[in-house]
Amino acid sequence: MSRDTLSRPEPVARRAPDGARPARRISRTEARNARAAAGFVLPFLALFALCFLAPIVYAVYQSLHKTERTGPLGLGGQEHEVFAGLANYTHALSDDQFLAGFGRVLLFGAVQVPLMIVLATALALLLEGASARGIPFFRSAFFLPYGVPGVIASILWGFLYVPGISPLVKIAQSVGWDVDFLARGTVLWSIANIVTWQFTGYNMLVLIAQLKSVPEELYEAARIDGANAWQVARHVKLPLIRPALVLTGVFSIIGTLQLFAEPKVLRPLASSIDSGFTPNLHAYSEAFVGNNQHVAAAEAVLLALVACVASFVFLRLVGGRGKERG
Amino acid sequence: MTSIDLPRRAVLGTAAGAVAAACLTGCGDSGDDHPAPRERKKGQKITLSFWSWVPGIDKPVALWNRRNPEVQVTVEQVSAVDGEQYAKMHAAIKAGNPPDLGQIEFPVIPSFLLDNGLLDLAPLGAARHKDKFFGWQWRQSVFGKGIYAIPQASGPMGLFVRQDLFEKWDVPVPTTWDAYEAAAKKIRKKGAWIETFSATNGNRLAGLAWQAGAKWYATKGDTWLISIDDEPTRKVADYWEALVRQKLIKTIPDRQDAWYKDLQTGAIPAWVGASWGDALLVGNAPGTKGKWRAAPLPQWKPGGRTFANWGGSTTAVFAKAPYPKDALDFAVWLNTDPESIALLIEGGYGFPSAKKGYATGALDVDKAFFGGQEYSKIFADAGAHVDTSWQWGPGVDTLYQRLGDAFTDALGTGASFRSVLAKVQGQTIADLKGKGLKVESGA
Repeated sequence: MSRDTLSRPEPVARRAPDGARPARRISRTEARNARAAAGFVLPFLALFALCFLAPIVYAVYQSLHKTERTGPLGLGGQEHEVFAGLANYTHALSDDQFLAGFGRVLLFGAVQVPLMIVLATALALLLEGASARGIPFFRSAFFLPYGVPGVIASILWGFLYVPGISPLVKIAQSVGWDVDFLARGTVLWSIANIVTWQFTGYNMLVLIAQLKSVPEELYEAARIDGANAWQVARHVKLPLIRPALVLTGVFSIIGTLQLFAEPKVLRPLASSIDSGFTPNLHAYSEAFVGNNQHVAAAEAVLLALVACVASFVFLRLVGGRGKERG
Repeated sequence: MTSIDLPRRAVLGTAAGAVAAACLTGCGDSGDDHPAPRERKKGQKITLSFWSWVPGIDKPVALWNRRNPEVQVTVEQVSAVDGEQYAKMHAAIKAGNPPDLGQIEFPVIPSFLLDNGLLDLAPLGAARHKDKFFGWQWRQSVFGKGIYAIPQASGPMGLFVRQDLFEKWDVPVPTTWDAYEAAAKKIRKKGAWIETFSATNGNRLAGLAWQAGAKWYATKGDTWLISIDDEPTRKVADYWEALVRQKLIKTIPDRQDAWYKDLQTGAIPAWVGASWGDALLVGNAPGTKGKWRAAPLPQWKPGGRTFANWGGSTTAVFAKAPYPKDALDFAVWLNTDPESIALLIEGGYGFPSAKKGYATGALDVDKAFFGGQEYSKIFADAGAHVDTSWQWGPGVDTLYQRLGDAFTDALGTGASFRSVLAKVQGQTIADLKGKGLKVESGA
């Protein structure tokens, strides 16, 4: 697709310099085209600038400034913003809690993301390969959790985790298993469970969509060659849904770094989640509890950078082999 | 194609509309940067917005609205979970669209002053209302020459106990902290826990330190003195750490579902709480009606009478309120008018800050729940013996969060509670310096 659109303007560009045709007529059409294009593009650019670029620029600006106060005891006096250089960044990077949050989400991502993608792929292959009735039902059922907002999902799971209320804990205890889903060592995986529950179905649907677009002939050819179902899945389906796998992988990595709603909701219930459990939660606490918008902005910028680098590294790792095939 | 185009166009239209609206409100706000203190013209109708989380606050407000057709007040109930209401208020101040009035607790007033978020009510003549309130509570919102809020209620601390269980287990209601520990041991042997040490509850810890004689904030000239790691607080920390390490006390967060369930089932038969706790017990452990009693807060010395305060709030006017005089009038009326106070008491909002306008007996809203006990007398006595020199400083929300994080950590790793105090002391000084204040350690 993209190659087609790129190659289309070439003939125009080649035609222009030779001057064989009256240049005016072409430029008139071109001008009209350009105006039309601008008409289509400008609203997008305006919104893009307003909703995307402006907040980023403002965050970067905030991250480079700090508030100075005067007045008795610093109360009720004047306050003004002054340039702070990288002070907010060094402050954020020397905050153990903030760094620990990064360590936590990276560990989380290293375990949860592969697990979820494997699960989603398995579900996609199973539901796509089967020809039984009720497939649409199962597809919707797996996708359903995605329709539940993250906050609601966390509250729901919270009830299933809190000892004294949770039926799960009660069942576990009745068989002699003293489980605490909100303990220090387990709470991260309890959160991973919520995230997996929520997003596996979504990723599954993306993968199924790509599976649907694979031409039937390829499967036929594989079957004629004597491939069994497993071999078809392994050697035909998986390579063909690779772009979708990469896509879901990148989304999941970014999602992991943005982890916020689940720990925020579980925090009042669990004595094991601190106010800087994830980098995002830390930035939130800085901004809205500590009232340090400048430090929070620096942390948000750092978080964006890490998400950017992580996605880039991931794409490089998986993209190299993709190119060989393409 | 057209079927796709139409909704897309509609979406664009809505988005553009939203953008335009955002711009309009934005422009309106920036125009209000230097508001002349507007006076309401006679007969002019205005509406004041008021953010509060107090249960039943809508009733006195409705009464005000009936009596003052020209100055209507609309209440927006805000969440008080985890300090969310203050996050919302700070954000609104930053964004330039705070409400006219807000419910603000004593400890966080200085944080709002740091924001220049509250209106100084002194130039409006607020000082003439001073004598209507208990002196120490009035002073909670006085900084320098400024008066920044009208006190509403306080929270003298006491001990709630399940009389029936204490009697059944033959545990005397503790009057000293030593007796409390002994009671904890006995109750643990019966399979229950006396109560919980909630790592994230900085409010209660502050109250207990207050009782022990701590002074977390003080001022010297224009410098803040921070003393979280002082001897009285260490004593309190050591005491609760001993209970935790001996496994005599639970460590679940308080005022959460699991805790309420424990109260309801008797798994936790006591609570070091505050006067407003009656409403919490009634609302969340209805099955224990008639079984609870209130007792004075345990003392460090036998026969002592040193009490403390947990919570307490004010009605403050935000800095940009366009009709400050009317806002002040409402705040004073809300917290001094006898009928208003009666309605607030009914809602369970705490101990009135106003000296007159209520009878102590009226505070026994849930007498039946406490087996007919006139429990408000316990809290009235506690309120009369609160060390009134306690002062709050800026950044208390952050301080509570720091304490919560450090105690959470200490419960998990086994680090000492003293090390928590030392750590938070250092962090608090650094936090306040980071805000451009002059700070020193007072401990």
